[in-house]
Amino acid sequence: MGLTIAEKILGRTTDQGAARAGENHAVRPARMIAYDFPGYTDVMFRQMREDFGITELADPSRYVVFIDHMLTRNDQREAEVHQVTRDWCEFYGIELHEAQGIGHQLTAELGLAIPGDFLVHFDGHISGVGAFNALGWGIRRDLIEAWVSGQIHVDIPATTRFDLVGDFPEGVDSRDLVHTIIEMVGADGCAHQVMEFGGPGARSMAIDHRQGLCGMAMFTGAVSAVFEPDEVSMAYAREVARRDFEPVYPDDDAVYAARHTIDLSTLVPRVVRPGSARVANTSTVEELAGTPVTRAFIGSCASGRIEDLRAAALVLDGRKVAPTVELNVVPTSKKVYEQAEQEGILDVLRAAGATIAVSSCDFCFGYQQPLQPDENCISTGVLNISGRMGSPDANIYMGSPYTVAASAITGTIGEAAR
Amino acid sequence: MSTYPPPPDLIESRVAWVFGDDFDIDLVVGVANIKSYDADHLRSVCMTAFDPGFVDRVRPGDIIVGGRNFGYGHPHYPPMVALRNAGIAAIVAESFSPGFWRGETFNGMPLITIEGVSEAVALHDEITLDWRTATLDTADGARIVGTPPNPRTVAIIEAGGSYQLLLAEHAPASQ
Repeated sequence: MGLTIAEKILGRTTDQGAARAGENHAVRPARMIAYDFPGYTDVMFRQMREDFGITELADPSRYVVFIDHMLTRNDQREAEVHQVTRDWCEFYGIELHEAQGIGHQLTAELGLAIPGDFLVHFDGHISGVGAFNALGWGIRRDLIEAWVSGQIHVDIPATTRFDLVGDFPEGVDSRDLVHTIIEMVGADGCAHQVMEFGGPGARSMAIDHRQGLCGMAMFTGAVSAVFEPDEVSMAYAREVARRDFEPVYPDDDAVYAARHTIDLSTLVPRVVRPGSARVANTSTVEELAGTPVTRAFIGSCASGRIEDLRAAALVLDGRKVAPTVELNVVPTSKKVYEQAEQEGILDVLRAAGATIAVSSCDFCFGYQQPLQPDENCISTGVLNISGRMGSPDANIYMGSPYTVAASAITGTIGEAAR
Repeated sequence: MSTYPPPPDLIESRVAWVFGDDFDIDLVVGVANIKSYDADHLRSVCMTAFDPGFVDRVRPGDIIVGGRNFGYGHPHYPPMVALRNAGIAAIVAESFSPGFWRGETFNGMPLITIEGVSEAVALHDEITLDWRTATLDTADGARIVGTPPNPRTVAIIEAGGSYQLLLAEHAPASQ
């Protein structure tokens, strides 16, 4: 019986050199990543030193920390949180990147998302590195096990295979795909599994869209997602990778928990209603057309990359955001910001009335300009739960950059003209 | 980090509540309270949306029963802190959302998967749970068996949580 991509990647990291779905193994990640957040990294660093007596890391190159949250209020608390991080990273000799953008994107840009590698983070959206044939797993507070011991015990996951065919229609992208998949398989349709993407439709997808899709894997219950390698992802990896790598393909006779074929050309724009990304909350844009919005947000680790900004500019070029709407755009990284500036995309968005904010996580979790009670926001962020972007009494709808941009123009949820 | 003792081998208890599918654990205390770790405050809001008298009626060792995908959403820790402080000793569900499962297993809470449990028991039923073997004896004498936790998870629960197990495995000998 053949192996899936996840079984092969994880198998490489075990003492036995092999792993099968259903087995429990200690696996050794190539990178153990975190962003600083009060109560998480500060506590973990202190635990390593005080509880485990670790004053020197066996291999500091496996540790990476990003400062990408709490960057925009410029207050004393922020300053203290980040100084603690800088001090600890210096103490341990850990690679630290500050204010360069959202860490999940930087992981790719810095050549850390290497094909065939296994990466862990306490945040589940690290699964976005699956675009590059790497396997990223959000292990929550178990990151301390990885940081202390260099390994982490996991149940080797089964895999659901998605064979993608066709191309996205105009005005439709990976956000519509992921919400369609959630609708199709259910909020626990891939529970405790890995989503594996391949087929001609997968190969036709831009890297940015693959990252956005993989980064949302948790909303089907999946622990991660991964694409088969192809020339597009390998070209990216060759450009940024810090070392040689070996991409991983599934065996022809790999054993899957389930297998689905999706024709991208049949997809229509989707919007998820406030509350969660669960199946019952997923609608077509058409069904929600006319719902008023006062805030719109394009950004996040799922949907603020260059393809997303191009999509927004396509919709907003020569048009104006409604005077009743505040549209905030956050490029996912500084590099994306600079590219969008060079391409003239940001000028188009500014001319339409959008505000372009520095690259950080702060809008997405309600730290920067939080939503007020009873506001309706349409967002490309990763979560629409109550309180995520500010007041628990505000409503967050989620959609693609096309849909968010189109909705910002009219002040009501609507579809980008196709 | 868990500050709760490991559960007994056999949890002889009562069903304190039965939730449906895709239960979002944040609802136990409400979204407005998901960042609080104040024990008194969490007690005052625990389950009030479902049963205002819950924390006064619940008994130490009681269990929660859930449907499919228990813990779906963005599982914060305080709701489970509230339930633990109220005396809940284990959760038995048809299945668990992975994020919730990992986070609360880290904290040493037995999360036991038994298919059919949400139909087999009712609120306030007296039941016995052997969490290691995922075996539940119902009030009417029936026995239902689920998927036992793997040896590593058993070790975590026996240790009182992942952190305690990690300390036992990796703390310096002098400590």
